[in-house]
Amino acid sequence: MAISNIVVALAGGPKSALPAKYAIGLAKKLKAKITVVHVINEKIIHDLIKARVVVEAEARNYYRDLEDQGWAFMKKIKKLAESKDVSCDMVLLKGVVHEQIVGKVKESGADLLVMGQLKEILSMKEVYIEEGERLFWEAPCPVLVVKNDDMVEALFKEQ
Amino acid sequence: MRISDYLKKENCVMNLRAISKEEAVREVAGALVSVGKVKDEERFVQDVLEREKLGSTGIGLKVAIPHAPTDAVNGFVIGFGRSELGIDFQAIDDEKVHLVFVMGTNPEELSLYLKLLSELSRLLRKSDFREALQKATSGEEVVDIFKKFEA
Repeated sequence: MAISNIVVALAGGPKSALPAKYAIGLAKKLKAKITVVHVINEKIIHDLIKARVVVEAEARNYYRDLEDQGWAFMKKIKKLAESKDVSCDMVLLKGVVHEQIVGKVKESGADLLVMGQLKEILSMKEVYIEEGERLFWEAPCPVLVVKNDDMVEALFKEQ
Repeated sequence: MRISDYLKKENCVMNLRAISKEEAVREVAGALVSVGKVKDEERFVQDVLEREKLGSTGIGLKVAIPHAPTDAVNGFVIGFGRSELGIDFQAIDDEKVHLVFVMGTNPEELSLYLKLLSELSRLLRKSDFREALQKATSGEEVVDIFKKFEA
C-alpha cells in the first residue's frame, strides 16, 4: 500500500509546524510529496462583521495580513521540506476550514491527510469544535494525527 | 486557548471612574500593564482609539470591545472594566456601555486574536453571561465566570 501524496493541514500557529515536520519525515521515507494547505477562516471574520465587532475596512486589513502570514508560514515549511529533499507544494485557501481542506484532499487525490492534535483544534466551543471534528471525520482518506512535540522534533532531526 | 487563559483578576476594573470612551480605554489599559505584556501603554491606547475612529466597538447590549492589533503589546492581552453609570461609546443602539473589554495583540498573533475576539463576541451575546458579569464583585469572580462559560 503506497503513500505518495500527503496533504498537511496547517493551523497557522507555531505548533502547527509539528504535523508538517512529521509529514516531511514520513514523505522522505516513503518518497512521497507533500502539499501544505493553509486556510483563512472566513467564517470568523464574517461573524465578527455581522456582530459589528469588526468593520469592513478593518476586515480587509485582517485578510491581507492573514494572507501574508499564511504564505510566510508555508514558505518556512517548504524550506524545511526542501532541506530534506522532499517536494512541497503550497496552497492558501479561504472559507470554511474543514470544507476547504477536504476539498483539496479530494482534488489532489491525496492518500493521507496529516493534521495536528485534536485538543489544540477543539479548544473553543462552536468556532472550532466543528472544524477539527469535521475535518477528521469527513476526510476521504486515512488521517494521521500528529502528537507529542518532543518526539516529532527528535524524529525530524534524525532525518 | 481560552479567554480565561489570558484574563487575570488584576486586569479587571470593577468600578470604572471613566465617563468617556477614551478614559475607559485608558483605565482598562492601565490595568493591563501589570501583566508585563504592554510594552508601550500610550501607543496601545492610541492604536485602540485609532481603531475606534473606523467605527464604534459599542456593539449594543451595553457592551463595548475596543481592540487593535498593535506592536505596543507582546502576544495577546485582554482587560475588563465595568461602569455603574455607563459610558458614552457611541454604541450602535445609542445605549450607554457598562461592560468594556479592551483587547490587543501583536500582529503576529492575529489568527489567535480573531479566534478569541470571536469567542468573546459569542459569550457576550448570552444574557446570563452579561448578567453574571454585572453582578460580579471581584476580578477573581470575573475570571471564574469566564471559566464557567468557556467550560
